[in-house]
This record gives sequence, structure tokens and C-alpha cells, in this order.
Amino acid sequence: MEKPEYNQAIVRSFVNWSIVWGLVAVLVGVIVSFQMIYPDLNFPPYLTFGRLRPLHTNAGIYGWGVGTIFALFLYIVQRLCKTGLWSNKLASFQLWFFNATIIAAAVTLLLGYTTSKEYHELEWPIDVMVVVLWVAFAINIIMTIIKRKEEQMYISLWYMMAAIVGVAILYLVNAAAVPVSLFKSYSAYAGTNDANVHWWFGHNAVAMALTAPPLAMFYYFLPKSTGVPIYSHRLSIISFWSLIFMYLWTGAHHLLWTPVPDWIQTLAMAFSVMLIAPSWGSVINGYLSMNGQWQQMKENYLVKFLILGITFYGLQTLQGPMQAIRTFSAFIHYTDWIPGHIHMGTLGWVSLIAFAGIYFLVPRIYGREVYSIPLANLHFWLVVVGQLIYSVSLWVAGVMQAGMWNAVNADGSLTYTFMETMVEMYPYWWARAVGGVIYLAGVLVFIYNIWMSVRKGQPATATATATAAAGSAGRA
Amino acid sequence: MNPSALLYLGITFGLFVIFALIVLRTYKHKNKERGEAPKFSMLDDE
Amino acid sequence: MWEKRPVLLLILATAAILVGTVVTMVLPFVWVNTEADRIASVTPYTPLQQEGRDLYIREGCNNCHTQTVRPLVTEVLRYGDYSKSGEFVYDRPFLWGSKRTGPDLARLGGKYPDSWHYKHMDSPRSMVPRTNMPDYAWMKTNLLDPEMVRRKMQVLGFPYTEEQIKALVGKNEIDALVAYLQKLGSDIPWRVATQATMVGELKNPFVRDHQAMEEGREIYKKNCASCHGEHLDGDIAPPLNGLTQTDAALFETLYNGLPAGGMPGFASLGASKIWQVVSYLKYHDHEKGQH
Repeated sequence: MEKPEYNQAIVRSFVNWSIVWGLVAVLVGVIVSFQMIYPDLNFPPYLTFGRLRPLHTNAGIYGWGVGTIFALFLYIVQRLCKTGLWSNKLASFQLWFFNATIIAAAVTLLLGYTTSKEYHELEWPIDVMVVVLWVAFAINIIMTIIKRKEEQMYISLWYMMAAIVGVAILYLVNAAAVPVSLFKSYSAYAGTNDANVHWWFGHNAVAMALTAPPLAMFYYFLPKSTGVPIYSHRLSIISFWSLIFMYLWTGAHHLLWTPVPDWIQTLAMAFSVMLIAPSWGSVINGYLSMNGQWQQMKENYLVKFLILGITFYGLQTLQGPMQAIRTFSAFIHYTDWIPGHIHMGTLGWVSLIAFAGIYFLVPRIYGREVYSIPLANLHFWLVVVGQLIYSVSLWVAGVMQAGMWNAVNADGSLTYTFMETMVEMYPYWWARAVGGVIYLAGVLVFIYNIWMSVRKGQPATATATATAAAGSAGRA
Repeated sequence: MNPSALLYLGITFGLFVIFALIVLRTYKHKNKERGEAPKFSMLDDE
Repeated sequence: MWEKRPVLLLILATAAILVGTVVTMVLPFVWVNTEADRIASVTPYTPLQQEGRDLYIREGCNNCHTQTVRPLVTEVLRYGDYSKSGEFVYDRPFLWGSKRTGPDLARLGGKYPDSWHYKHMDSPRSMVPRTNMPDYAWMKTNLLDPEMVRRKMQVLGFPYTEEQIKALVGKNEIDALVAYLQKLGSDIPWRVATQATMVGELKNPFVRDHQAMEEGREIYKKNCASCHGEHLDGDIAPPLNGLTQTDAALFETLYNGLPAGGMPGFASLGASKIWQVVSYLKYHDHEKGQH
């Protein structure tokens, strides 16, 4: 069969840029974690916690998260469809427009142009840029799938398409606003409606940007790395439909006990618990794919990233539903437990999968083998340990804080004033900052390793044939 | 039972039936080979 | 079928996504922010308050402060009456937040006098020694732009008068922020409604008890000194040396606060701690620093 003309250059550029934005996200994260301990590290007006924290989350979600989605999807879609991209020009436009958007986002956030809506802080002109960017991406992916040479679509393509349409709907509806000036607008919705629309967006941005895409990557890179197919394609399909159906009902679990109507909260709680099933459908599918292959956890560093990644996904999708239950939410919501939870998802699940994907691509897009596997292992341990220190210390902090907030004396009065509870957080915030620094060190090792692969890695010829051989072996 | 409760039950039941049909179709014995084919073909794309 | 047809799969996936969306996101518009939700005493923001709200947004205050009191016992005790949907009908966007690095602010309005807020924004640690809140003294040097505020009020459809717009001239950003903070949660008369009525005779169980006065001193330092001065000589609030009120009157003031004078109530500390403070204030020899 004639080898299709794959566009590797665009994948390479997206990988490079998403790494840049990933570094920015982690670096700013470390800075804000120290600002929480030392308020003197706030440098107004541009570099205060209130402006840097949105920069951290946006760089993480849109720079690193969406950047790796672009990079890895553009790679995966060509391979799974056994054809080149529908339009290479559109992909090049997408690359430059992506960077323009992220830079515009960073600058405007530091200038204080924000809608205040968590994970949707960008003001309306940047929203327009995001929409253009996403449409360019969507067209290219969908048209490539339409012109594919492969008959049946592999599950990764299903998740990709759901993510593309899901993000589009969520972002557009939540972006509705009336502009006052170039950088100021007011939400189209008010009060309780605005809250409900926003968390429908907020939680499903997690579904459509930080769950479906990493699942698409996981389902692709795990079998490619181990050389054996996933356990069950049909199970992945059942999980797919259940996941994308159920997720959209759960947004109001961010709004338990608020003035949002009770029945919405109850639905959100019920669907959150039901979501364990499709989430674990993928986790179990991943684990069962390792049947007879578990020795690869020792021998193959890619598998380590992927299996730990799906394990954190499994833990995340148990902890999340637990938090979505009214009684537990009453206790834990608004405490430091919550950032502990979120970072297990982003640092543990999403990023481990993206790291694995990028390592896998190195020989295919740079034409060089990965420079050092020991360094990749060091990277692995640094990010896993850093993330665990981060999350565990904040879970402990959250439980303690919640306990103090709820403590009452015999006469029914409160045991602690707010400040008495806040000062107890400092040691845990220290631990979190240390965890963040270790994670940052891991990211720097990763970047060094990729850099050295490009400069000094062995020319890649072996890998492609090796995986192909392993693939046919697995099939037999 | 009032109409809104009936509607509620109807929709819930309808959704359940759709889910059951998807499961049945996916796991129907004669669909096995076809349903699992993509996981093999994805392995040789280098 | 859809395994081979991407467009069909896209349509079906969209349909699956839309079911939950319609039920939990679109349908609620039928019930929320309707007449049933409306509270007559809740009013739109004035130009100065709206400008303050926009500054609250600009500085990302919502990253550390929430604005919803949940109907939970300890939460109502700590912050005040739980939040009602009708209180937020003029909030575009909502600012409920998701994390309480600092305390909830939904019921902040009227808790402290303006002077407290000015001092606190200037230098949070001068009022709350170990807080990690950044200083916002720099905002005092930025003046408001009345024309911009006029446009904002038009977009929001809020009533405003030319006097209100003219009054903005010369006002700085902290003036606006404080005006906004003082409006928060104060449109419903919850402070009056939750005022405790003292029944029976109030008797100080401690009087000159040294241990109690010592503890009262500690509670005073943490909760009162920032306004009344370390040595009771007054600061933004009046001096407290040489008090002549009865123990019972002092207790009532500490318990319920003086809403008109900007003094917060300290009911959440509990009767025992309040009596300790009363004993410290009245019976400790503040000049000699002895009991």
C-alpha cells in the first residue's frame, strides 16, 4: 500500500508550542502557590494573585491542555484515517492563530480584562479568537475523517468528534455577553441563571477538554506503546455513549446548597454518581488491555505514564462523585481539598497522558529516538511524587479546615473564627508549594530530554518497524 | 398520576430503552468481529 | 451505520450532549429569576457600587472569596442569613466563587464601618495580622471614569441620575470598591431579623475572675484591637477605657453589635467568651495593665 503523505511538521510545531505553554502554566502555578504564603510576593497591579491565578489556569487548560489536544489529535487523526490532513494550510493558520490567542489571553488577563468566570475568564474579543481557532481545528479534523481511507472509525475518533462538538456548544453558550467596550462585557445571564449556565460549562469543559481528549489519546497510545490491541472496542463504545450522555447533567454539583433549584442539584448529584460506570469502563478497559503485558510496566516507560495516568483518572472519577454528594459537599466544598482534587486530574491524568503521547511521537516527528530513557523515568517519578505531595497535603488541609469551620461549642457558638482556621493552612500551603516545585523540576527534565533528543538523539529508523512488528505479533 | 410525572417517567424509560438498544446492538454476537475490528487495524498505520 | 459515518456520529453525539443540557441548563430559565424569585427590597447597583463590582472582578477577588452563604448551621452562624436567589437578579456576572481562601463576603455589607475597609484595603495585615491578602493601597491613586460608568449603566439597564454620575468625579477605585462591599447582602433586613432579644436578667458569671480577664484580653486582641486599639485607646472605633455601661448592656452590645455605628455583632463567639471580654473591658485596670 502506498504510504500516505502525513503532515508531521505541523504536529511538531504544536508539540513545541504546547510544551512552552505548559512550562508557563506550571511556573505561574508555583509563583501563585508562594504568593499564598508570602503576600509580599504580590506585585500590583499586574502580578497579583487575583490576576495570576487565572493566567495559571488558562495557560494550563488552553495553552498546555488544548495545545496538546491540537498536537496529538492532528497526529492521531492522520494515522487512524490513513490519510494526510484535509488542509495543511488551515493547520498552519491554526498554529499561528493558536499562539496569537494564547498570547492575547495572557496579556489581557494580566491587564485585568476578565469576565471573572472560572476557566472562561477571557473577554469577548479573545472569545471570538477562541471560536475561530476551534472552528478551524474542527473543520480540519472532521474533513480528514470524512475523506479517510479506513472504513470503521476507531474509538479515539469518536471521542475526538464528541470533544469538538461539545467544546463548541459549551463555549458559545457560556460566552454570551453584551460588550460595553473593547475589553469589558456583561454576561447575558444574571445571578442564579448565570451560575447555573456557567457551571454547566465549567464542569463539561472538564468533560470535553480534559476527559474525552485524553481518553482519545489513551485509547490510541496505550495499544501503540504496548503493541497489543485494547481489551474491548465494544466496551469502549458503551462507555463512550454513557459518558457523553451523562456528563452534561452534572454541572450543578458545583452549586450544591446554593440558590440554584434543588431538583437541578439532585439530578447533578445522581448523574455524578452514575458517571462512575462509564469512567471506570475506560479504566477497566485499560487495565484488561495489559493482560499478559504487565511486565511492560517495568520495561516500557511509556506504559508507566499511561497506566499511572489512567489510574489517576480512575481515582479522580471516584473522588469527584463523592464530592458531588450533598452531605460531603457541605463539608468539603470551598476548602483547599478542591484544588487538591483538580490537580490530581490535571497533573496526574491529563498531563501524564500528554507526556506519554509526546515521548511516543519524538521518533516519528523529529526523526530521533528519545535521548535518555533514565531521564524519562526521572521525569516520571518527579511529576508523580510532586503531584502526590500537592494533592495529599491539600486533602489533609481541606479536611482540617472543614472540621474547624464546622466546629461548635457546647453552647452552639463557633469554636474558631475564620482567621484561626486560615492560619492553620500555612504549613499545608508550604507542602503544596514544595510539591509544585518538584513537579516543575520534572517538567524541566522532560523539556531537557526532548531538547537533547532533537539535538543528539539516535536517528530513528528502528522504532517504526519495531512497533509494526509488535503490532502484528499482538494480533496473532 | 399527573401529566408531568408521566412525561418524566416516559422520558426516563425512553432513554433507558435507547441505552439498552445500544448495548444489545453493540454486543450482538454477529456484530462481534465487526465491532472489534478497528482495534486491530489501528495497530498498523506506521 | 454511525461507526462508518462521521457526520451521523457527530449528529448523534450532539443529540446525546443536548439531552442533559436542555434539562439542566435550558429548562431552569423557566423558574429562575422569575417573579417568584423577586425580592422587593433588592435594588440594582448605583453607579459607584457597579464600578466597585467591576473592580472586584478586575482584581479577581472571586479567586479567594465566595459570595453565597449556604443554609447550613455553622455557615449561617459565621456569615449570616443564607443566600436567596432573588438577591442576585442584578448580578451580571454572578460572583459566587468556588474557594474560600478568605471568608465568604455575601453578607459583608454593613458589618464594618467604611473606615475599617479603607484601612484593610490599604494594608490588610494592619487589621488582620496573619492574613495573606495582598495590599490594594495602589488602587487609591486611580480615579474613576464617569463616562465609562454611564455606558455600563446603560448596557445593564440600571437606573442612575446625572447627579450620581457627576458625583463620581474625583472618586478613586477604593471608594467604589468599599461602596460595593457595603452593599453586599444588605438589601434584605437580615441583620435586624437575626438580632437576639435578651430575656431575663443578664448576669456576668466572671466579674473580676483573673483567668477570665486574661482570656478576655486574648479574645480582645484577636477580634477587637484592630478597631479599638491595642490599649483600648481607640482607633477607627471609639476608645473603651473608662466604660460606664452595666455588664449586661456591654454584653448586649458585643452580642448583637451596633449596626448603626458599624460595629459587628460577635454572637458567634458564644456567651462565655463575650462575658470574658466584658470582664476584661470593665474590670481590668487598663492604665496599670493589671487585673
